[in-house]
Amino acid sequence: MPQNAFTSLSGRSSMSRRLFLTTTGALSLGAALTACGGGSGGSPASAEPVSRADTDKAMKTPTELTFWTWVPNIDKEVALFEKRYPAIKVKVVNAGQGTPQYTKLRTALKAGSGAPDMVQIEYQAIPTFTITDSLLDLRPYGASALKPAFVDWTWAQVSGGDGEVWAIPQDTGPMGMLYRRDIFDAHGIDVPTTWDEFAAAARKLHQADPDVYLTNLAANQVAAWHGLLWQAGAKPYATSGRGDIAISVDDAVSKKLGAYWGGLAKEGVIGVEPDFTDSWYAALNRGKYATWITAAWGPVFLSGSAKATAGKWRAAPLPQWDAARPSSGNWGGSTTAVVRGTKNPVAAALFAQFLNSDPAGAKMFATEQFFFPATKALLTDASFVSDAPAFYGGQKVNQVFADVSSTVNSSFQWPPFLDQAATDWTETVGKSLADKGDTVGALGDWQSRLTTYAKGQGFTVKGS
Amino acid sequence: MTATTPTATRAVPTAEPPSAAPPRRGPASRRRSTPLTIAMLAALAYFLLPLFWLLIASTKSTQDLFDSFGLWFSHAPQLLTNVRETFAQDDGVYVHWLLNTVVYAGVSAVGAALLAAAGGYGFAKFRFRGDRTAFNLVLGAVMVPTTALAIPTYLLFAEAGLVNTPWAVILPSLVNPFGLYLMRVYAQDAVPDSVLEAARIDGAGEARIFFRIALRLLAPGLVTVLLFTLVATWNNYFLPLIMLNDPDLYPVTVGLSSWAAQAQNGGAGASSDMLALVVTGSLLSIVPLVVAFLLLQRYWQSGLAAGGVKQ
Amino acid sequence: MAATHRRRAAGPLFVAPFMVLFLLLFLAPLGYAAYLSLFQERLIGGTAFVGLDNYVQALSDPQFLHGIGRVALFFVIQVPVMLLLALAFALALDSGLLRLARVIRLGIFVPYAVPSVVATLMWGYLYGPDFGPFAQLSRHLSVPVPDFLGDGWMLGSLANIVTWEFVGYNMIILYAALRTVPGELYEAAAVDGAGAWRTAWSVKLPALRPALMLTLLFSVIGSFQLFNEPKLLMAIAPDVISSSYTANLYAYTLAFTGQQVNYAATVSFLLGLVIVIASYAVLLTANRRRTP
Repeated sequence: MPQNAFTSLSGRSSMSRRLFLTTTGALSLGAALTACGGGSGGSPASAEPVSRADTDKAMKTPTELTFWTWVPNIDKEVALFEKRYPAIKVKVVNAGQGTPQYTKLRTALKAGSGAPDMVQIEYQAIPTFTITDSLLDLRPYGASALKPAFVDWTWAQVSGGDGEVWAIPQDTGPMGMLYRRDIFDAHGIDVPTTWDEFAAAARKLHQADPDVYLTNLAANQVAAWHGLLWQAGAKPYATSGRGDIAISVDDAVSKKLGAYWGGLAKEGVIGVEPDFTDSWYAALNRGKYATWITAAWGPVFLSGSAKATAGKWRAAPLPQWDAARPSSGNWGGSTTAVVRGTKNPVAAALFAQFLNSDPAGAKMFATEQFFFPATKALLTDASFVSDAPAFYGGQKVNQVFADVSSTVNSSFQWPPFLDQAATDWTETVGKSLADKGDTVGALGDWQSRLTTYAKGQGFTVKGS
Repeated sequence: MTATTPTATRAVPTAEPPSAAPPRRGPASRRRSTPLTIAMLAALAYFLLPLFWLLIASTKSTQDLFDSFGLWFSHAPQLLTNVRETFAQDDGVYVHWLLNTVVYAGVSAVGAALLAAAGGYGFAKFRFRGDRTAFNLVLGAVMVPTTALAIPTYLLFAEAGLVNTPWAVILPSLVNPFGLYLMRVYAQDAVPDSVLEAARIDGAGEARIFFRIALRLLAPGLVTVLLFTLVATWNNYFLPLIMLNDPDLYPVTVGLSSWAAQAQNGGAGASSDMLALVVTGSLLSIVPLVVAFLLLQRYWQSGLAAGGVKQ
Repeated sequence: MAATHRRRAAGPLFVAPFMVLFLLLFLAPLGYAAYLSLFQERLIGGTAFVGLDNYVQALSDPQFLHGIGRVALFFVIQVPVMLLLALAFALALDSGLLRLARVIRLGIFVPYAVPSVVATLMWGYLYGPDFGPFAQLSRHLSVPVPDFLGDGWMLGSLANIVTWEFVGYNMIILYAALRTVPGELYEAAAVDGAGAWRTAWSVKLPALRPALMLTLLFSVIGSFQLFNEPKLLMAIAPDVISSSYTANLYAYTLAFTGQQVNYAATVSFLLGLVIVIASYAVLLTANRRRTP
């Protein structure tokens, strides 16, 4: 569904807390984080910093902030903020997950009233809201000081062209592969490390058992496609300045990807059914697919959704295009941003920063919501990476994805019109996958649709 | 399909007003046909099938919804557990949704019916400058798709600070052009001119005549408009979907669809029991309307018979 | 003199509350939408007056045209089925030949009281290719599982939901109309020696004409505005139902997801125009047939 195509999965949670109850070690966040929250870190000269006195005054003035988020049970983390700043009350509102929330936010912004102070926003949606000047640059409130605490590519994702800090990362989804070890073993398949091996395995497996496919590339899952583009090193969108954009969703890299996946779909050796539907869940439980190309939130999600298969799964990095230079992309995860129209910019900005960088709160996201962290400290936190859930046969799954996170490319950019890109992808490339048609040709259609749209919106369009 | 904007136009061919006398049945009515009855019972089965499924499904856990046969009970019925959990989920937000729905639908229905009754009476019993134009304008405008109005209404309401308040849902529901049309047609016959003249000769004011005499004569038509507006508002999805941000203000339709979306994200095997809650919540949400229709059937059927169908 | 004066003023006063709200809540937004449709708001460069450009664009927009085409097809197939069923049920109920007539009448009408959100959730589940009871039965009987949510079946599946929801409503309108047929007509028919079928054909059907027109017009408007059902089925069949599956869904997507408020207003306006034209076409056809 185009509207939900980019829907974040960071809100997906599971009740299987047992898995993570081992993570009760001491809070061992890096020192970089301990100074956060007061805006006292060295603010850059590029934006006028808010003075310490003004900040203190704002944080002592009784204020009510509204926070739109779809994260379940986030009250616990919010409570930490309210405890630290008792004058500030935060009203948590669930206005829908991903696109439905953006839709509401956009209408509220357009109407000029009803928008919240802070919003949950996914990485890919940030440029769509900065092009309309809807987000607040957090640099004057001390956000730049947090940069060292966060994984480099996540910080790049929330940074604007002129160094603005548009949001604070909360969780991430570096991509990897979950696979059914039992199925692999039964058919003598080694874990593929390159996409060539992956394709060979797909053919072999489907031939050996026509009821089983190596994987399912959901024809409605535009976010996964972007993650795979990201891994392949593609630069589908490049904005320079405000009105200039280069669109190249059918360049050589994209075509390589299109030919690869379109070819496998056409051969019928992989599935292309929509994901996160009842039928898809059933297929995972039934063992119809031997792998799930997913992201770091996938392991916990799967352990809640495919209980029938406990113990049979393992995690591995994505297969590579170039085994010598391993890389990955990101799918999912989200951030906290401040809406530009807020009447309480100081309190709202400090909330966004505290929520995601306060050591106790950041850790809580990993242990309560099972979010995959965006901070360097947590990714090396022993209690986090050494967790060995039984669902994955005692494998240290977090360690696998923590390693993957360090291979995610920092320079991937999102278009300032994400919904259009998603809708057009679904109706061209996605459709070609579902129909087992000409995926490479569909990339051209996608390119021309996007180019037409961008020109119509007043952009100067460069590129193929 | 929206049931919210039924309409007719002035071009509807007019039939002679039927006699007020209740219809009669010929001698045929004492015979019964078994084949026809069986055929109709088969049709009835089709219409009740989804509701039967809903009833069965609301006794199941999420897991059983996927594992057991859809049209029969599972081994461990748990209707009460489901009901309890439905009411407990998200700090009892479902109760809010039900109450919101009752308030939105109730206020809208009473308001719309009264406005339509007064307007229909005014158009039927008075001649004044521009009356035809105004009436035709109302009838013609109902063909406009709801989406055409949704965006500008949203923007105008935002200006007025009405967005994300109950008024954003109630106000647009107060204008029921079809209700106005129906009440005009109904008032034409149901309120005889002679009665009005007699009251005027007795010196009664127009307002008094309307509230004391006309409104009572209009009652069956009024109840019909009331019930159908009630259904339209109760079932409304589009308007509250765009107007409301705060889950505490949602009516039950928008709330249930947001739960359904969450259930989708949770998945078949997910331990979160959202799907069972969606199903149970659906069942609970239709009970009040069905009961209302059954209890009030005499009124709405006579209202339709007497007013709704003669043009 | 004063009394007459008061009476003259009374008419507008009775009408005023409705008309004021109508003006504020219907005509004002409509006018605003018309105004919006003449502009184009760009992400870069702001808002510009573009005259009728949006309309020109829409008339050659394949997504819009397909959406219109799809609802037109839906209308042509679903509405006759629904109204014929409603008519048949109403005649059966009115014939006096049924046992349990009351139960049947209410049972068929009950779906009208079910919100379309709930109706779609229920049918969506029943249609399910894995857990739906039809799929379960098919597998049990080893026959192919019907692909209700597939590309080929979807329009029919949607039509089924809408038919389920509204047959009872239309039936009640028609049935109520039948109940108002004056007894003399039946007596006259009986004197002429007409049987049940003949009476139905030559007495009941003509008497139903106005009510049928009414239901037909409701259906034109309902069909062309199809929104709730496809919007909700999108979640379970995302690869079949696109964001422009119906014209109304397209307008919604444009406005609330695609940020193209102006173009959305244009599309909605054109859709309204199509509905007006379709309604009048229905009326004209019906009237022509009446006067041979």
